[in-house]
Amino acid sequence: MKRLILLFIFIISLDKHSLAQDKNLTIYAYVNGLVCDFCARALEMTISKKDEVESINVDLKDKVITINFNENQRLENSVITQLINDAGYTVREITNAKK
Amino acid sequence: MKYIILITILSFTYFKVTEARPVSYPGGITLMLMNDSEKNSLHAHYSPSAQTSFGYKFEYWRSNEFSLNMIQMNNLIKRWNKPESQANFYIKSGIGSAYSDKGHFESKNNFAGFIGISADWEDQRYFIKYGNRYTNAVEIDNFYTQFVHVGITPYIGDYGDIHTWLMIKVNHTPEFKRNINVTPYLRFFKNVHLLEVGADTRGKIMFNYVYRY
Repeated sequence: MKRLILLFIFIISLDKHSLAQDKNLTIYAYVNGLVCDFCARALEMTISKKDEVESINVDLKDKVITINFNENQRLENSVITQLINDAGYTVREITNAKK
Repeated sequence: MKYIILITILSFTYFKVTEARPVSYPGGITLMLMNDSEKNSLHAHYSPSAQTSFGYKFEYWRSNEFSLNMIQMNNLIKRWNKPESQANFYIKSGIGSAYSDKGHFESKNNFAGFIGISADWEDQRYFIKYGNRYTNAVEIDNFYTQFVHVGITPYIGDYGDIHTWLMIKVNHTPEFKRNINVTPYLRFFKNVHLLEVGADTRGKIMFNYVYRY
């Protein structure tokens, strides 16, 4: 019985984890021209204005922006590309997993 | 002078580039305080788009004792975004008034304008910038100046770290008595703050501060 309960708890926790991943999507945008803190600030301010975006992290060393979306929300890649262009930069690639 | 007015008006109304590029980011405001051996200046600008900024510029040129109050516009003509670097080409222009009470000038006020270009290239390790400017303050003064900045950082930091740059600036102003001025300086960069501190070869202090929000 103990094993059965443990197995049940394990399955529930796995299920919760995968559900959370589905609900709160994270994408990674690799950006050209990202060389300084002012560039990072420009991208942060432009992208974080969107209601769908929960948080954003700019990694200057790898030139990648991590965008975390609110639950059950996301932006199309074309919209993200346009936002990055509006801020003055260009997109190399958008992925669902960090390289 | 007619040409300066014409070019300034053109740059205010005509220059639109198709490729996006921030002077700041759209909606961004920048405050710049610059002080070196030649002048003290303040420039505050707003960027409605990633291609253009406009704002107020004040300059006080110490050797010839005159000041400029201007509306300045910066236009990015072209930006090159590469995976590890960025390069830019700008046109900068201003229009306003000059004031002087030096020598025979008694509270002299007249029209003034300037126009210049600026080009830079940087990656996370190296920085180089060239710029020039022709300033015409009619009877008070008119002169051409150009400059080069070169820099290197001893370490590469991430966003939010303190970035330190070892920089050198060379100014060339043919109309000035000492027409070449060399200034080694340190640049510190963190998040929305940029601070530059140095001294030229005559020991005159350079102090610049930029805040972007």
